[in-house]
Amino acid sequence: MRKYDAVVIGAGNGGLVAAIRLLQGGAKVLLVEKHNLPGGFATSFRRGRFEFEASLHELNDFGTADNAGDVRVLFDELGVTDKIDWMEIPEAYRVICTAEGLDATMPFGVEAYIDKMESYVPGSRESVTKFFDLAEEVRLAQAYSSSVNGKTDSKVMMKEYGNFVRAGSYSVNEVLDVLKMPQKARDILGAYWCYLGANLSDMSFVHYASMVNRYMKRGASMPKMRSHEISLALVDRILELGGDVLMNTEAVKILTDESDGGVAGVVLDDGTEIETRHVVANCAPHVVYGRMMDNVPEDVVKATNTRKFAGRGFTMFLGLDKTADELGIENHNYFIYDTSDTAKQYALMRTIRDNSAQATVCLNRAYPECSPEGTCMMYFTTLYMADDWGRLKPSDYFRAKDYVANKMIDRFEKDTGAKIRGSIEEISVATPVTYARYCGHPEGVIYGYESQYWDGLMPRLLMMGEDYKVRGLRFAGGYSMRLSGYSSAYFSGDISGRQTVGDIKKEG
Amino acid sequence: MSFVFKKQVLGLLDLIRFKKLVPNRRERFKNGSDSPLPKTYKVNEAAKIIHPGFRKAVLTEIRDETADTKTFFFRTDKPFVFKAGQYATLGCKVGDSEVSRPYAIVGTASDALDGKLGFTVKKTGFFSGYLFDEAKVGDEFTVGDPSGEFYYEPVKDAGKVVAIAGGSGIAPFYTLACAIADGTEKLDLTILYGARTSADFALKKELDALAAIGKIKVVYVTSDEKKAGFEHGFIGRDLITKYADGDFTVMMCGPDAMYAFLDKELAALNIPLRRIKKEPNCVGTRDVAEKEYKLTVHIGFDTYEVPAKSTETLLVAMERAGLKVPSKCRAGGCGFCHSRLVSGEYSIAGADKRRLADLKFGYIHPCCSYPDSDMELVVPKAK
Ligand SMILES: Cc1cc2nc3c(=O)[nH]c(=O)nc-3n(C[C@H](O)[C@H](O)[C@H](O)COP(=O)(O)OP(=O)(O)OC[C@H]3O[C@@H](n4cnc5c(N)ncnc54)[C@H](O)[C@@H]3O)c2cc1C
Ligand code: FES
Repeated sequence: MRKYDAVVIGAGNGGLVAAIRLLQGGAKVLLVEKHNLPGGFATSFRRGRFEFEASLHELNDFGTADNAGDVRVLFDELGVTDKIDWMEIPEAYRVICTAEGLDATMPFGVEAYIDKMESYVPGSRESVTKFFDLAEEVRLAQAYSSSVNGKTDSKVMMKEYGNFVRAGSYSVNEVLDVLKMPQKARDILGAYWCYLGANLSDMSFVHYASMVNRYMKRGASMPKMRSHEISLALVDRILELGGDVLMNTEAVKILTDESDGGVAGVVLDDGTEIETRHVVANCAPHVVYGRMMDNVPEDVVKATNTRKFAGRGFTMFLGLDKTADELGIENHNYFIYDTSDTAKQYALMRTIRDNSAQATVCLNRAYPECSPEGTCMMYFTTLYMADDWGRLKPSDYFRAKDYVANKMIDRFEKDTGAKIRGSIEEISVATPVTYARYCGHPEGVIYGYESQYWDGLMPRLLMMGEDYKVRGLRFAGGYSMRLSGYSSAYFSGDISGRQTVGDIKKEG
Repeated sequence: MSFVFKKQVLGLLDLIRFKKLVPNRRERFKNGSDSPLPKTYKVNEAAKIIHPGFRKAVLTEIRDETADTKTFFFRTDKPFVFKAGQYATLGCKVGDSEVSRPYAIVGTASDALDGKLGFTVKKTGFFSGYLFDEAKVGDEFTVGDPSGEFYYEPVKDAGKVVAIAGGSGIAPFYTLACAIADGTEKLDLTILYGARTSADFALKKELDALAAIGKIKVVYVTSDEKKAGFEHGFIGRDLITKYADGDFTVMMCGPDAMYAFLDKELAALNIPLRRIKKEPNCVGTRDVAEKEYKLTVHIGFDTYEVPAKSTETLLVAMERAGLKVPSKCRAGGCGFCHSRLVSGEYSIAGADKRRLADLKFGYIHPCCSYPDSDMELVVPKAK
């Protein structure tokens, strides 16, 4: 039987980084991926003369060489930064909320953001400044927590990070109430909520603030050859470090050791058994515990049943045969909502009929050369907060796809004044069904477990130790301790990879 | 920090709440349901109908169409849905090789929900030859997912489609006509159908029956015979403008020579790319001096050394050697055969359809690449 120190299941963002960390720690590693490409959602695809980005709107917390964000620091350590051609995203976002008549375009940079907000909402400066002060304290507190591996000293926390601790248990809305932020400023500031996928009454303040802060402090970046470039660069590094990588190879079972219930091996889809005592799973605990393991402890079943799936993805990709200027597409990144009341919006996003929110990108506004001269390309994403796509009759599937695609185009044209309908050269649509098949996630979820206040970033980080229930089994990716999103998935791979190196060393 | 954040009048209460984050989550977990975790989910089950994957197919009927064309009908045990115009791969073991080829799906939406589908195949090469000469009712094959983008897109395409078919290129349009007839698709379809003589039109009887109900018009065009009721010559701008005006989408399916001619004709008509769809053909052999190279292939944990001819694609070399490797479109576009190049020189047939980062990091599509030296590849196993 073949033997490895560790097997990484899934070559998504989390799995790829975990594999590099393991190899850097001296482990012998096998990475298996059921798809024929690495990256999971971090990939690209070609249609005609266009190469579409499959998921990445922008990578936050990357920054520049002299204002490096945590992701760049991580990529430097992994040895991949220079394998990738980066470019910077010009502005943060434009948010449109029809019910409130809101239309605001926001820049990167904390100062610039606060100034712009003041121009839209006179009198907002104080509360918005406080928001960023708090957010910065969140960042520092998290850095401290990471530096001591989660074993924080409560005296240090109280003394240095008192505001963080006092704000740490509240939702975004509860904190913004205290800051007395004017409603319109809250509406503008809240635009990013759909990136995390929980409404702002449910979402923990710490999680949201930490994300907004990362965006504003360091701007955002993008690999020129789409996220496929990052994924292939990470694989390249794994191969350099001597890792084994198998594509088109699904792990179907995790074998356990009778003595302690811990990991003993992995069975691949062709029946091959791999001996190992360590697995980093880049897939949902629901899948691992529900299908891949026998004798799952009862407390694990109960905990897993408790968790709530985050949004199910839908994306429309358009290749247009005119330039963004010609079509009147002014911005790089749009959030278009019916209402800035996020709980109401969230409720509307349950059904195919009612959901018409969208987060839309025109990549040419960041990188004009991303498509042939005289063309541009766009992708429109939304989330479904329930499983309407699973209730459709199969024979209605294509009609439903077209229905949503048309609705997205109409909405974009109406709310922005751009004219795109007559210039579509290529179209491709991915639904929750597509995502369910592509990465195998339950219900076509693209954001892991929802960032509910009780299961948000803080409690997950604080409970990292006790969430490790099965000896040798750790998780990376959107379902794990850092929650979803590119940077979070990379960080979770970093954490689980390094922890597994520690586990291996301890075993000697 | 310039200010002190407090939600409760006493900041202490905020602190206590923070301290409760962990016990709260612990409590929730403890009170969770102990019913077994689901094995599957609604959306994932729907995915199995939309993407049924590779599955067993039993040959149920063979119908003669013309001297060199037959339609093969299959039964599978899984319902599926597809868009008229899509293809699926059909494969089986021929001699020592695992072989498969993409063919346009022939059939209706309701056939598909019963797990049934057909392929109209023209006898041309290795696998079609096998189908013609060897396959018999009751034989087992493998069929793959409905694939490809050669279908009507109501969101962007014109309400009128001019379909140009050469030979067995009629198959996707016959299926599209069926979909119009049963209400699955809504468009006006004019098919310009070219063949050598009036005896070479597969599916003519069926097409004429469909045309009788309106919305569908079929124009038969013979190149080698003049006959009443048939247009004569090649399908070009004259015939297109004779049968279509205003805004229309052109869909074409036929041999490469037909595409080369039509590309110029459509350019002369100023038809923009967004109004043109072309189903790419499988890559064939290339016309160079025949040489034999050594191809080293890593699949899973195994390594093989196989011969590769300069005239054939790397995919064919591997299949000839009996290796089970992935393929779908065999035209360079779907990426299913995506493999890592370790070393060697190669040439690509036609336009390079790889992703940019594939070029940068050395990945190739063996289905459309010919060897120009000894080569070494890492190929994912076929599923
Ligand atoms: C349309 C869209 C837009 C998005 N936009 C952004 C954005 O702008 N910014 C951002 O930060 N985030 C964005 N996200 C979210 C982000 O892509 C994800 O959170 C992140 O990629 C999750 O990474 P992951 O590590 O969980 O891996 P995943 O991408 O979930 O990959 C898991 C991998 O494991 C494989 N696998 C699963 N089971 C097995 C098995 N048994 N054996 C072998 N392999 C297996 C799967 O095939 C897959 O490749 C977006 C997502 C989508 C879909
Ligand atoms: S089989 Fe489609 S690209 Fe090779």
